[in-house]
Amino acid sequence: MNPFTALGLPARADLDDEQVRQAWRAIAAATHPDRADGGDPPAYTAASAAYARLRIAWGRSETLADLAAGTPPEPSGLVPAPDAGTVWGAVAMLPGRIRRGRLARMAARSLAAAAAGLLAVTVIPGTPSEPAVVAGAVLWWALTIRSDLAPPPGR
Amino acid sequence: MSVLTVLVVVWLVRKGLRLARYLLVAAGLVAAWPVTAVAAVAVAGAWLRGWPPARLYRAALRSAPMAGVYLVAAAARAGSWQAVALAPVRGWQQASGMLAHGRIVQAVLVIAPVAVPTGLAAGGAAWARRIWAINAGLAGRSAFAPAAFDARQWRRQVAAARGALAAPGLVPLATSSGMVPVGPIIRAVGRRWSPVLAVPAAAFARHMVIVGSSGSGKTNLMIRLWAGWYAVTLAAAGRGKPRPLLAALDCKGGPDGRVKADRARRVLYGVGARRVAIWPDEATLSLWDLPPRDLAVLLHQLTEHGSGGAAYYADIIQAVLTLAVCAPGPPPAGSAQFLDRLDATWLETAYADGRPNELGWIHAARPHLGDIQLRYATLLARLGPALDGPGRLADADAWYFIVEGTREPSVAEAQAMAITELIAHAATSREAEPRTMLLAADDYSAVSRRVPLSNLYERGRSLGLGVMVSAQSWQGLGRDEDERYRIAATADGGLWLMQTPHPEPLVALAGTRRVLESAHKLVGATWGDEGTTRIQHAFTADPGLIRTLAVGQACYIHRGSAVFVQVARPRPSPLSLRPSRISTGSGPRAAAASSGCGTRDDDGSPTQPLPVLVPGGLDDVLGPGPGQQGGS
Repeated sequence: MNPFTALGLPARADLDDEQVRQAWRAIAAATHPDRADGGDPPAYTAASAAYARLRIAWGRSETLADLAAGTPPEPSGLVPAPDAGTVWGAVAMLPGRIRRGRLARMAARSLAAAAAGLLAVTVIPGTPSEPAVVAGAVLWWALTIRSDLAPPPGR
Repeated sequence: MSVLTVLVVVWLVRKGLRLARYLLVAAGLVAAWPVTAVAAVAVAGAWLRGWPPARLYRAALRSAPMAGVYLVAAAARAGSWQAVALAPVRGWQQASGMLAHGRIVQAVLVIAPVAVPTGLAAGGAAWARRIWAINAGLAGRSAFAPAAFDARQWRRQVAAARGALAAPGLVPLATSSGMVPVGPIIRAVGRRWSPVLAVPAAAFARHMVIVGSSGSGKTNLMIRLWAGWYAVTLAAAGRGKPRPLLAALDCKGGPDGRVKADRARRVLYGVGARRVAIWPDEATLSLWDLPPRDLAVLLHQLTEHGSGGAAYYADIIQAVLTLAVCAPGPPPAGSAQFLDRLDATWLETAYADGRPNELGWIHAARPHLGDIQLRYATLLARLGPALDGPGRLADADAWYFIVEGTREPSVAEAQAMAITELIAHAATSREAEPRTMLLAADDYSAVSRRVPLSNLYERGRSLGLGVMVSAQSWQGLGRDEDERYRIAATADGGLWLMQTPHPEPLVALAGTRRVLESAHKLVGATWGDEGTTRIQHAFTADPGLIRTLAVGQACYIHRGSAVFVQVARPRPSPLSLRPSRISTGSGPRAAAASSGCGTRDDDGSPTQPLPVLVPGGLDDVLGPGPGQQGGS
């Protein structure tokens, strides 16, 4: 659960220690198991865990960075990943690297390169520029798309 | 003809020649419209994004194969070299004709293979000329133009570097060629530009220094460097080199230390460090594993000594410690055994077998033994059980030591001293498995008074031990100026400067570079077109810039160059290697526990070191008062 949500706070970088403490105290008072009505232990535990994480500036900045980057990385399975050092390994891990990369950017780059190549084939067929533009589009695509792939395992 | 007329004619001729030159250049630019257009776009892009000319040259080089394919295709068509040589001209004629008829897309595509590489190279040259002219004071509207231009370009360079951080594959933690990428380069001075700053793993063995104020992003940088070093060294271990062993010493401690430790463990786990031990919370070490002689010296160093008359007692303590630790038989295996030995009866029994000299020394020291025992009982109690074993450095892939330098400075100093000695021993031990080691002391200033890392620094290279020291300021690097310079000047692996108010001593280590400085003559209230230019020395790493670095920005000083970099947040690949199925939950904490580096029970079995949130009473939460009743 998002720790900011657990404490009912906005996910902002400018929160101070006292604001976080106040939010936790309010939830703790309402949900503590020692209350006459038995409280709400799961909510209390969630709020306490969130408070432990957010009570100092470092923890808040880490949490915000985690949230900005999406879900913390977890492997797709518990089997060993292929060895990145071999050609086969590099090829085998490509689907995973693509899936974990910037898909939208990769798609946009691929479309742009394909469009340039297609344009060359249809608009200037038979000229020396046709294969050159296609080669240029492929080269540009290959050089730039690497940064959109997720890094290989262990890096 | 009067003199005035001659002057007017000469002026008109000069102006006319200048105009003719401009017209000629303009005609050339129009004639070479494809190159001009690409160059103009390239310069505009470089200006807006703060790119250096090198980036345009690099792009020109990378697009050159396109021109190569064009020429090969032209050769295949024409069949003669003359036709190939004239192919670009023919392409230009063709494209110009198309443009004249409004077929813009066709014209661009026909000439692009030649125009793109040429235009990018021309744009790079034009942009380099512009930068040079501005910096030399030959361009710009006012005398302040160079400073304004530099400040504006810096802002744009920072924005471009921050934008580049979003690319997941641009700054991995390590590369297959043994480099440790740090982040996109903002600006490089005295060094060839590249999109990302990457440090060779070998630089870590030559020591590094990191200086930055609290909150400047020092910890992020350190974790990234540790993880990168670990990944590269682990890959080298697969090729027969020694395995890596990282020892990170957090000298400040406190709650922040625990958060940092957890973060470091997550990142290190992602690059293959399966056993990350956190001391003293989850793992322990044994001081008593040291060789007896080294142990005796260390125990002596752990206590504070005075000078003058106090030196006399210090020598007595040293003698007693040596007698106790190096007594016949096995050395002490723990604090209790050691304290038992600081007793006259025990020592006399141990040395009773034909050792008259030692017996004489014991007799002489007898009046002081009680005091010495009391002093060491106090010291060992303050050090805590985490140095009393069990556990050895070799048990883990990485250690994160948390010493409470802020809360208990004297204890932290003693603990740090003991830990560094254990690490130095592990590096020199002939019996143990050789490991490539990195000792990183974070916030070293908290213990720098009594832990002279400079000694380890100088010995480290021969021991295969790299040392990385971080401090919040120049003053925190060592107890005195000599110590600071010894640490900074021997950091051949590089100096990392983050935002710090007093960077001058460290900046001086980067040296100076020669720059042109132009002075303009004032004519009335405006700058005239006359002035002087001279060569001046300027700091390679601008201290003013370092003072104003934002969070996460660093200046890497190495061999007379300064590279400003936007440090990328350390994040391991989402495709982390997992060697085996983990049965005790998931995540690095559980993995550390399952590998034996968690907290040990009495029977030595590791326990799950997950944080447990035990609800206390309402009074514990809110304190006594209305909050208990309110529920609001």
